[in-house]
Amino acid sequence: MEIISTVVVLVVKSLIFILGMFLAAAYLTLIERKFAGHVQQRPGPLHVGFHGLLQPIADALKVLTKEDLVPNNVDKVLFYLASLMAFVPAIMILAVIPFGDPIKIFGFEIKPYITDINVGLILALAFGSISIYGVIFAGWASNSKYPMIGGLRKAAVLIGYEVALGFAMVGPIMMAGSFSLREIVQAQEGFFGAFIWYQPLAFIVILFAILAETGRTPFDVQEAEAELVSGYNTEYSGMKFGLFPLAEWYIGTFVLSAIAVILFFGGWKGPHIFGAFSPFIWFFLKVFMMFMFFLWVHWTLPRYRVDQITEIAWKVMLPLSLLNIFITAIIIMVKG
Amino acid sequence: MVKLKYVERPKLNLIEKLFFLDFIKGLKVTFKNLIKRTVTTKYPYEKLTPPKRFRGTHAHRVKDGNEPPSFSVLEKFMDINTGESRCVACYMCQQACPVPSLFRIEAIQLPNGKKKVVRFDMNLLNCLYCGLCVDACPVDCLIMTDIYETAKYQREKCVIHMDDMSERGKDFDRRRLKEPDRIWIDDQERIKLWGQIKWS
Repeated sequence: MEIISTVVVLVVKSLIFILGMFLAAAYLTLIERKFAGHVQQRPGPLHVGFHGLLQPIADALKVLTKEDLVPNNVDKVLFYLASLMAFVPAIMILAVIPFGDPIKIFGFEIKPYITDINVGLILALAFGSISIYGVIFAGWASNSKYPMIGGLRKAAVLIGYEVALGFAMVGPIMMAGSFSLREIVQAQEGFFGAFIWYQPLAFIVILFAILAETGRTPFDVQEAEAELVSGYNTEYSGMKFGLFPLAEWYIGTFVLSAIAVILFFGGWKGPHIFGAFSPFIWFFLKVFMMFMFFLWVHWTLPRYRVDQITEIAWKVMLPLSLLNIFITAIIIMVKG
Repeated sequence: MVKLKYVERPKLNLIEKLFFLDFIKGLKVTFKNLIKRTVTTKYPYEKLTPPKRFRGTHAHRVKDGNEPPSFSVLEKFMDINTGESRCVACYMCQQACPVPSLFRIEAIQLPNGKKKVVRFDMNLLNCLYCGLCVDACPVDCLIMTDIYETAKYQREKCVIHMDDMSERGKDFDRRRLKEPDRIWIDDQERIKLWGQIKWS
């Protein structure tokens, strides 16, 4: 009986998380388009609903009802697998992200996270690494030159920045003494307890790594509209095409921003000024600010060359994160 | 012999390297743009009026008493009533045109010896809107209007005829004949519409 109720609760929770993430991602596209429009002094989507509020739904309908073309000479299995391999790991990271402390509603204890395991951060990193396969499969299976180049570029960038990201996360982990995302949040007390004050170097490295992982502008060589038609998803069409940007630009950015917020900005901690839901509101406010910052960077900067990107990853970011670990270790040793 | 000139990339100093000052400068620019007003027009709902010298769909001026002196010389050979197109079928527009085949101009001689223009068709599908025909017209008949919505559903609809051209000409003169040509950089109305232009 115990097991069945646990399974039911978990399934319902996962469904809520996945559907919520889908809706959120759809509306993140609207936010991005509005933001990009206003940065370029144009209004963005305006006519579907009030100020374009129904535009994501119209887009989803359009993408879902489009003809799904599969070119003749593609590797069919990998071609279908690739869009899933890019999408599923991105949304799987949600499983370990806590959105707040357990709360009590009508006598039930509701935990706003799917699972709280003691290797949560490592699991998130592992899922992030799996998404490389989606990109490489898409590039290889398409049997076409632009996707191939795009996929290889993205793989090179991802491998470089995964390492830097992993090492940069070690700083906050050392300060919190745990891999569990929930315990990392609980280790940050008060405004000046947030790890951003102690780990600015790690934060900068993680900012760069997130920009590179999610293919946002200074590092968007895998898309590079001017050089590669659309990068590794050139041969895709319909919803299979839609899944790539959805996974990479929106779900990936959202989830990695959430992890950055948990590591550096104290997660859901904040003054209790919104009543019972203030942890959620603080958390989503912080994640939203992070997301807007990434959008801001995306629509400002030009693109690095691909060799410069890998150079920055191995020659600057990796040494910086190692230096950060070294300094943190010495400080922890000295303070005891 | 081509001389190659190598331009050195300007070196960043340490502070610029450490704090990403160039990034911050760029972010400042985009933030300024973000809070500015948009500069777009919502096209099907709002339409800009082009300047008077805009080269849009062609039209014929009609005989209304404002003709240039050259017309009064030719007038006595022509059978033109007031309010009709003042075209004298001199074929100057066709001569000036880079794609002459887009014109089809026909004139007949009436029993009383006068000349009457019976056909003046232009196939605007071939037209490149260069305006040479307008410059060539000796009686100031052929003009170009400010109408820019020229897309049609049938190819035949893209051919314009003498009747609708003179209607368009009447309409254009009624609207904009009095208006000054906005070609001077200090013209107030031009500045209102299009902003100040700085010449180098």
